[in-house]
Amino acid sequence: MDSRIEQLVEKYWKCETSLEEENELKAYFATHEVSDEWKDAASLFKYFDHQKKLAMNEDGVARKLNVEMQPKDDGKVKKLVFTTAKIAAGVLVLVAATFLVRQEVRKSYPTDVVDTYSDPELAFKETKKALMMISKGFGKAKQEAGKIRIFNEAEEAIQNGPGQKDPEEERI
Amino acid sequence: MDIQAFETKVLPSKNKLFRFALRLLGNVDEAQDVVQEVLIKVWNGRESMHQIKNWEAWCMRLTRNLSLDRLRAQQRKATDSLVVGMEVRQDGLSPLEKTELTESMQQVSKLMASLPEKQRQVMHLRDVEGYSYNEICEILELDMSQVKISLFRARNSVREKLVKINAYGL
Repeated sequence: MDSRIEQLVEKYWKCETSLEEENELKAYFATHEVSDEWKDAASLFKYFDHQKKLAMNEDGVARKLNVEMQPKDDGKVKKLVFTTAKIAAGVLVLVAATFLVRQEVRKSYPTDVVDTYSDPELAFKETKKALMMISKGFGKAKQEAGKIRIFNEAEEAIQNGPGQKDPEEERI
Repeated sequence: MDIQAFETKVLPSKNKLFRFALRLLGNVDEAQDVVQEVLIKVWNGRESMHQIKNWEAWCMRLTRNLSLDRLRAQQRKATDSLVVGMEVRQDGLSPLEKTELTESMQQVSKLMASLPEKQRQVMHLRDVEGYSYNEICEILELDMSQVKISLFRARNSVREKLVKINAYGL
């Protein structure tokens, strides 16, 4: 075996070799057959060389990593959906409130006029009847109001006093 | 850090991370899980890691810590004794690896697996991955003298055992 390599192996065991020298040893033992005397060193450097070539199965790791490395834009979408939902909820509350308030207002004001008769003649009769009732009421009221006149007259008489005689009485 | 920086600075070292995790855990599936965890952690925490200059060393350190965490968890769960666990780890080679490795290389693999943890880590980083002493100090958070002593002991231990095996067939 090369005397330089022998020296390097000795230096290697003493931990005095540089990285370049160690690489030289690996390269030498990878390409050269050596005598039994150097078999242990050869198997060691061949083993190191072999180990350096071990690679991982990348499929699973790459797949998992790709999932992790996807730009996470669902945060933005989530935010947008959340904001829209908030606005929608606000609008919904307003609409519901307006509807309920309108219902209440309608209840407190009775409906104006409802047609009760479809036959005009019957309606005329009923109207007449109603008007007659009002007129009768008025007549009665007028009669009652006549009584008030007596009181008025009496009051006037008192106010005029006993000095002033009723012109009608004087005539009698 | 954007996708491009991640792909150029972090992803190329994934096989180194895998080999380091495999050295510590001795199980291909577990090692792949650890690498996946490391990469996802780096990606998710990329915004808060501006100060990191040497991404590879930092990822190696993370790999080491996560692997050791897993080992500790396994030891807590395991009902077997530690010795049985060690034996399982020594033989933790995939069938493909077993056929690829010559008998003597399998012996080296077993010898390395039987080293104390620190020595095993230092020897792997130096002899398999070819890191400088300074980089090993950074990855393992050790000082230079500790790294050199560990490497010296590891190499000598492997050498002695190899000599014994070759001389007496032990």
